Amino acid sequence: MSAALEVTGLDVRFRLRGSRGRPPRLVRAASDVALTLHHGRLLALVGESGCGKSVLTEALTGLLPGNAETRGRATLHPDGLDLLTAPEAVLRDEVRGRRIGLVGQSAGTFLTPTRTVGAQLREAVRMLDGPESAEVLAERAGLPAAALDLYPHELSGGTAQRAGLAAALAGDPEVVLADEPTAGLDRPLVDRTTDLLAELARAGKAVLLITHDLRAVRRIAASGPVDLAVMYASRIVESGPADEVFARPWHPYTAGLLGALPDEGFVPVPGHPPELSDLPSGCPFRPRCGRPSCTDDPTLVHHGERAVACHPAVPA
Amino acid sequence: MAELTAREARPAVGNEEPWRPAGRRRPGTLRARASWTGRGRLVAGLVGLVVLVLGAVLIPWLGGLDQGAVDYTAVRQPPSLAHPFGTDAVGRDLFLRSFAGLGVSLTVAASCAVISTVIGTLYGALSGLLGGWPDRILMRAVDGVNAVPHLLLGIVIVALYHGSVLAVIASIGLTHWTTVARVVRSEVLSLRSRPFVDAAISGGASRRRVLGRHLLPAVVPPAVLSSVLILPHAVWHETALSFLGLGLPPHLASLGNILAEGRQAVLLGSWWIVVFPSALLAATTLAVAGIAAWWRDRTRPRRRSELAL
Repeated sequence: MSAALEVTGLDVRFRLRGSRGRPPRLVRAASDVALTLHHGRLLALVGESGCGKSVLTEALTGLLPGNAETRGRATLHPDGLDLLTAPEAVLRDEVRGRRIGLVGQSAGTFLTPTRTVGAQLREAVRMLDGPESAEVLAERAGLPAAALDLYPHELSGGTAQRAGLAAALAGDPEVVLADEPTAGLDRPLVDRTTDLLAELARAGKAVLLITHDLRAVRRIAASGPVDLAVMYASRIVESGPADEVFARPWHPYTAGLLGALPDEGFVPVPGHPPELSDLPSGCPFRPRCGRPSCTDDPTLVHHGERAVACHPAVPA
Repeated sequence: MAELTAREARPAVGNEEPWRPAGRRRPGTLRARASWTGRGRLVAGLVGLVVLVLGAVLIPWLGGLDQGAVDYTAVRQPPSLAHPFGTDAVGRDLFLRSFAGLGVSLTVAASCAVISTVIGTLYGALSGLLGGWPDRILMRAVDGVNAVPHLLLGIVIVALYHGSVLAVIASIGLTHWTTVARVVRSEVLSLRSRPFVDAAISGGASRRRVLGRHLLPAVVPPAVLSSVLILPHAVWHETALSFLGLGLPPHLASLGNILAEGRQAVLLGSWWIVVFPSALLAATTLAVAGIAAWWRDRTRPRRRSELAL
C-alpha cells in the first residue's frame, strides 16, 4: 500500500476584514492537519459542519480564496510535488483533473447549464487526454447512458452527482477528493455514491471522502478496509482503520459521534463546536468533554496505525 | 491589517513556519491587504463631491462677480492669478463661469436622474411584477421609446416647451428612464422566483409586504447604480442640446454650454477653455462613481462564485 498524497502539519487560516464595527479577524480553518491517502484505500473524513473539512480540499487543489494563508506540506507522490507551494500553472496544467479529481458538493450545480452532460463529459475527456470514453466513464460512475443526452437541470440530484463523479474521473486521476458528495441525497443514493467511491478505491485510486455521514462510512467499512479521520474544530482528533475506531473509539468526540447514531443510542454530543475565529486555548473539545478536565493541549500522537489527540494518549 | 495573534487560537499546535498567502492562486479574489476599496472610495468620493458642490454654490456667490461679465480687453487669456482657469472668447472669467456652470449642470443632471429613476423603477417593477402579456406590451413600449434617437426625442420635447431649464430637464429625464426600467424589470423577474420570496409567501406575507419588504429593497441597489450612471450622461445630453442651440439659453452657464462654445476656441490654441470645465465634469463623475462603488459593495456582497471570476 503506497502513499499517494501525504499531508503534514497543514495549517490554513483566513483573514477577514473588519466591517460595520467588527474588528478584523483571523479564522483558523485547519490546524496541524496530517493525513495520508493511500492507493487502493478510501479515507473518510468526518466532522460537524464548519470544522474545516471542505477547506482541506480547497487547499489541496489550490482553490482557496484570496484571503487564505497556508503553511505545512501536502506532498503528491510519486514525484513529491508540494501542492501548497506549487505555482498555479502547474496546478492548472498538471494537477487538477489530471492527478487530482474533485467531486463537489451538489455536483448538479458544477455542470454548465447550457450544454448536455454528454457534451461536457466528452469535452473533459478530450481536454484532459483521458484514457476512457465518456460512455465508459458514465457506466463506471453508474450514470445511465440516456442521461448523457440530457441537460443538467433535467437530472435528478443523484444522477447529477454521478455525472459529477464521472467528470472527476475523466482525466484518470490517482487521487479523488469527494467533498460531501452525499449531501442532500436520500439513503439508497448515499449508499450508491459511497459504494462507487469504495469501488474506485478498490480499483487502486486514493480516495478522500468528506462526509457527515458516519453510517455510510460504517457501511462501506463493513465491506472493505477504510481509513477514518475525525475532525473537530480545525484539527484531526482521531484517525485509524475505520473498523478499529468504530469498535473502540479513543477520543471522546469520536465516541460521542458514534453514540449519536440512531442505532447506538441517539444521544447527541452536548454543546456546540467553538467558532473557528475564537478557538479556546487548550483542548478545543474540553468544554464538551465528559472526562475529568485536563489543562494542556493534546497533540496527535500515533500508535501504530491509529492516532489520537487526547489524554491519556494511549487509552487502556 | 494588524496581526491578531492574541485572538488566534492554539499557539501550542505544531508548526512555526511562516504563513504563506494562498490568495495568488485565484486571481481577482479579495486581497488580504486593503486595496482601493471599501471605505477609502466612499470617503474620497464624498469629499470630492462635497468640495465640488460647495464650489458650485459658494464660488459664484462669494466671488460677488457676474460670471457673465464680458471683458473685451481680456479675451482668451491663459490661466493666471487673476483668472485661474483663464478667460473665454468674450473675456468671461472661466473659473467663475465653470463653477456656476457646474452648479447648473449638476441641478439639471440630478433632476434628470431623479425623474428617470422614479419613472424607470415604477415602470420596470410594474412590468416585472405583472409579467406575461402586460410585461410584453410594456417592454415593447420601452423599445419604441428607445428606437427613436434620444437626441431627436429630446429636441421634440425642447421644441414643444422652448428654451427653459425645465424643458431641458424634461427632455433628458423623459428619454433616459428606459435603461433604469430595463434593469429594474430584469431584477424583479429574477428576484420573483428566488426561494426567499417563496419563503415569505409561504410564511404568510401579504402581496404588498412581499413587494415592499423583500422585492423593492433588493431592487434599490441596481436602480441607484443605473441612475448614477445617468448623471454624466445627462450632462453630455445637455451639452449636445446646447450645442444645437436647443439647450439652455446661451447666457446661462452650464458645463455643456461652456464646452460647446470652447470647441471653436480650442482650434485657436485656447486649451484651457475646454480642459478646466472637462476636468470638473470628470471629477464629478469620479466622485459619484466612488460613492456608487461603495454602495454596491455594501448592498451586494459578492458571492464566492463571483469572487472567483
